[in-house]
Amino acid sequence: MEIWNVLDEFLPQLLLVLFALIMPALDYFFKDKRVLAFAALAPLVAYALALVSWTIGGYWEPAISEPRIGLLEVNLFSGVFALAFVAVGIIVVLSSPEFIKAERNQGEYYALLLLAITGMTVVALATDLIVLFVGLEVAGIASFALSGFSKREKRSAEAATKYFIVGGFSSALTLFAISLFYGVSGTTEIAAMGPQMDAMFADVDGTHSVAVLATVMLIAGLGFKIAAVPFHMWAPDVYEGAPTPVSGLLAAASKKMGFAALFKIFLLGLVVVKADWDVAIGIIAILTMTVGNLVAVVQTNIKRMLAYSSIAQAGYILMVLPIGTEYAVAGGLFHVLTHAFMKSGAFMVVAALAVRGVGESIDDFKGLGKRSPFLALAMTLFLFSLAGIPPLAGFASKFVLFSSAVDASIAPGGQSWLLWLAVAGVLNSALSLYYYARVVKRMYMEKGSDERIAIPKMTGVAILFALVMTILLGVYFDAVLELCQEAAGSLLQSVP
Amino acid sequence: MLEYAWLIPVFPFVAFLLISLLPKRTLSWEDGAGYAIGGAAGALILSALVIGDVLAGNTMVGDGPKFTWLVVADIEVTFGIWIDQLTAIMLVVVAIVGTLVVIYSGGYMHEEAERRRRYYAEIMLFISVMYGLVISDNYLQMFIFWELVGLCSYLLIGFWYEKPSAASAAKRAFIVTRVGDIMFMAGIIILFKYVGSLDFANLFGDEGVAAVPNDMMILATALIFGGAIGKSAQFPLHEWLPDAMEGPTTVSALIHAATMVKAGVYLTARSYPLLVQAPDTLLFVAVIGGVTALIAATVALVATDIKRVLAYSTISQLGYMTLALGAGGYLVVYADSAGGYSAALFHLMNHAFFKALLFLCAGSVIHAVGTNDMRMMGGLGKKMKITSLTMLVGAIAISGVPPFSGFWSKDEVLAAVYSAGEFNSLFLLLWIMGIATAFMTAFYMFRMWFMTFAGEPRSDYHAHESPKLMTVPLMILAALAMTSGFVLFIGDGFGAFSGDSISELFHGGHHESAADILSHIFGDPLTYVSLVLAVMGILLAYRMYYVPGFDRSVFARGLSGRLQKALENRWYISRFYDDFAVKVVYGFSLVADAFDRYVIDGIVNGFAFLGARSGNVIRRTQTGNVQRYTSLIVVGLCLLLIFMLYIVPWGGW
Repeated sequence: MEIWNVLDEFLPQLLLVLFALIMPALDYFFKDKRVLAFAALAPLVAYALALVSWTIGGYWEPAISEPRIGLLEVNLFSGVFALAFVAVGIIVVLSSPEFIKAERNQGEYYALLLLAITGMTVVALATDLIVLFVGLEVAGIASFALSGFSKREKRSAEAATKYFIVGGFSSALTLFAISLFYGVSGTTEIAAMGPQMDAMFADVDGTHSVAVLATVMLIAGLGFKIAAVPFHMWAPDVYEGAPTPVSGLLAAASKKMGFAALFKIFLLGLVVVKADWDVAIGIIAILTMTVGNLVAVVQTNIKRMLAYSSIAQAGYILMVLPIGTEYAVAGGLFHVLTHAFMKSGAFMVVAALAVRGVGESIDDFKGLGKRSPFLALAMTLFLFSLAGIPPLAGFASKFVLFSSAVDASIAPGGQSWLLWLAVAGVLNSALSLYYYARVVKRMYMEKGSDERIAIPKMTGVAILFALVMTILLGVYFDAVLELCQEAAGSLLQSVP
Repeated sequence: MLEYAWLIPVFPFVAFLLISLLPKRTLSWEDGAGYAIGGAAGALILSALVIGDVLAGNTMVGDGPKFTWLVVADIEVTFGIWIDQLTAIMLVVVAIVGTLVVIYSGGYMHEEAERRRRYYAEIMLFISVMYGLVISDNYLQMFIFWELVGLCSYLLIGFWYEKPSAASAAKRAFIVTRVGDIMFMAGIIILFKYVGSLDFANLFGDEGVAAVPNDMMILATALIFGGAIGKSAQFPLHEWLPDAMEGPTTVSALIHAATMVKAGVYLTARSYPLLVQAPDTLLFVAVIGGVTALIAATVALVATDIKRVLAYSTISQLGYMTLALGAGGYLVVYADSAGGYSAALFHLMNHAFFKALLFLCAGSVIHAVGTNDMRMMGGLGKKMKITSLTMLVGAIAISGVPPFSGFWSKDEVLAAVYSAGEFNSLFLLLWIMGIATAFMTAFYMFRMWFMTFAGEPRSDYHAHESPKLMTVPLMILAALAMTSGFVLFIGDGFGAFSGDSISELFHGGHHESAADILSHIFGDPLTYVSLVLAVMGILLAYRMYYVPGFDRSVFARGLSGRLQKALENRWYISRFYDDFAVKVVYGFSLVADAFDRYVIDGIVNGFAFLGARSGNVIRRTQTGNVQRYTSLIVVGLCLLLIFMLYIVPWGGW
């Protein structure tokens, strides 16, 4: 029954857009704004269930073989990414009503959220550079507006402005890169770029330099999305200023969209010029994790600390590109999944505390272990997972990432310098434990106010969901890795 | 039914979760005792079903359900279950004693108020991980649970942690057993190196055994037995157990008499397919067991704290089991018989019942009198009829008077040791030590009973019998202590049943009828030696501690005086450890501390300083100025372009 084949083609995105469009109307009709959140949850949960029953349950298969709109392709690779985006979407929507209670125009908020998720999933599905760019822009513009949603707060407005300016600049770079690629390859279809470029290199003089220029621009343009050094400067300011659930969305989902695009373009389209970019991206990866962790050490604001921590995490995932093996891509996908839960979970704990009037300074976390045992425990587990302590999810995915670097460096014919990526990753993980553990110390070892904190209900549910997933992904290491390996295979099988 | 055995630990674990997580008001009766009893009873019922299945002849050895937790290269870390006759015997012990102790706690812990919730949570966690330990199908899983029972033991010994003696006893138990744990871990690492797996199915098979060279097998088995030395409080690591009596008496009964301390014996029995490959280790096991049995019994002769008497007695009886396992290995190798192995397990089960009974009786006494010191007791028999009678049953059972349970198993143990003497005369010496221990056991047990219940009160107290919640478990355990020995005669007999779990190691396995066994036991003159010695021990205690007017000060002079002093100081072993710890370890620690402080910390602080410093420097680039951000992107873009256009083609990586 093809009509039930809900993941086919564009149907889930249409559903998301439809709900986005009716949000302002719902806002007009319902006094209780929680209705909006539940309405926004509906398409997300439906999409998530469909994805889970396909990727994990294996109950049915979408029609992968013949994509009818030739520009989008449903496969396991896009499935895993979409799963991460939708899961973060659910967590963010769940914790929003309590956080933006006092704001006006909440209908637009949820509409923008749904549109942002739509854009991200389009990037995951795209097989063509133009469609991919449209997805990037949809998600980007929606998130510019979202980060400025708390209009009365100066910080929020400042964040949105900065995000918009830097984002616009980066979009221009990306678009420029795409047009140059079109120039040297004559196609915008990602999988066809490689062979076409090969053909061009033989015929036309100087094509290679143009390809390198385009690659550099693409690295800069997408480096902005994933906040890779030195294109990361906007991230801490924006994460700090944006409403906390939106910061969670940016760190846990929007950033992953950048990776979806990077994996596709570099491992599929630009693999023919890999020798040109692999060392450069390797260096960026090491720089990104090192700078992120070093600066995180000296932060005093928890949101800024989490921002730098996610810059560092992007460095870990960036390793995948120079390594390029199936196991590495599986590790990258695994880390995308785990990071989606642990990072959004950590942001939602901050959001829950903000709802109850607790500040964003790390010192405000003093004595949290006594004040709210659940939030403190959840935060501890999220942070330990980020640091990579077993048996939590972060350990499992980092383990796969680092071991893929080691494997690739000792494999026959492998590049020995890849080992340094693993070394840098391990040293950085050790360094990161320092600032994560510091927060845990504040929560449990230091005395703070004695006043108990009541957990906001919906945010609590979101945190619980993220927490359960953070533990499950670590415990069912094996099953998740298997899924990620299949997904990585589905990306790499189309490599010419 | 067997494939559901993994559910057994789940019941108490759920109870643990409920008790620790539910709001206080929903815990209702005794702050969670209801959940605890429910959890223990659920596990008891499920264990009974599993045991029934094993009795019907089914086992699950290496073909049970497995849960793969981790795959690293070609190494799989799995969790699984292993159910054979040995597991079934341990399940009997943990299920019955565990449930009865939890019920008894309902009365015993009544006055603890706020602390009860922690108590029940920790007890349930212990029961859960203890089940986990006995159903493990590989050494790694077993080691994980092994550490967890150690943790629970630590938590419960230190239950009254505000008391300095309890806190330090808990630490001591934890640290001393850790010495054994390290050896255990080293042992399984050696096995892993040669076999490449830690699953019993792989290790115990012919291929697994053949993969380990002979000398390494001796080392590995000796190290694994090292774990047993720590956990089962064998000489020379036995001193933590008497100190562990700082915990509540229920904890002593459950953990430090009936279950956790048996884990070492269990581990040794479980490793039999490996041990029989290394007769040198078997001899070592037997000697440790014999020495432990004797030394601990001597100290129990003079102890005045009722729980310490029982603690030393436990150590001594555990020594018996270890001795029987050592001798039993010789019998398997040279005489093709599982006699010693069965004797050890038989004694393990019987001991669990009568020692738990004795501890719970002691708890009942302490509950009534408010002191552990037997010199302050006396004359309680009239006021606490049930307690005194049930304790008498326990004392008779442990002393080895027929037909109570202790007689049968102790006789089997001694018979096994004696017959192993045929293959190595050292066992004859060990047998003499065993016989001497039997005499002393009877003496100190009745010394304890007379001091507690007979004569007149030696201090001012108003004792009364304990509530039903406590006396009913006592009566059940007393019935078990009287009758559990008869399993020797049921069906094919306990010997044949327990021997089945190592059936691939020997070819004997003769199934004797009840009459055969009886004539075997009572036709042997050695039986009467131990019986007469036991009765003499009881009579001596009667003469010294019951009949008034006996002048005990004659022992306080001359050689016997010095001996008594040595015994009262526990053979100075404890003091040796303290001195050793203070002088040698502390000295070493000072050096290590200095190294840590100046060298390691120096490096770490240096890095931290560097990190924070460079973090600060980099942070300064973060001006908040958006023009600066975009220009940095352009700078980065240009650098990248230069790098990729000019440096990459030139560089040779």
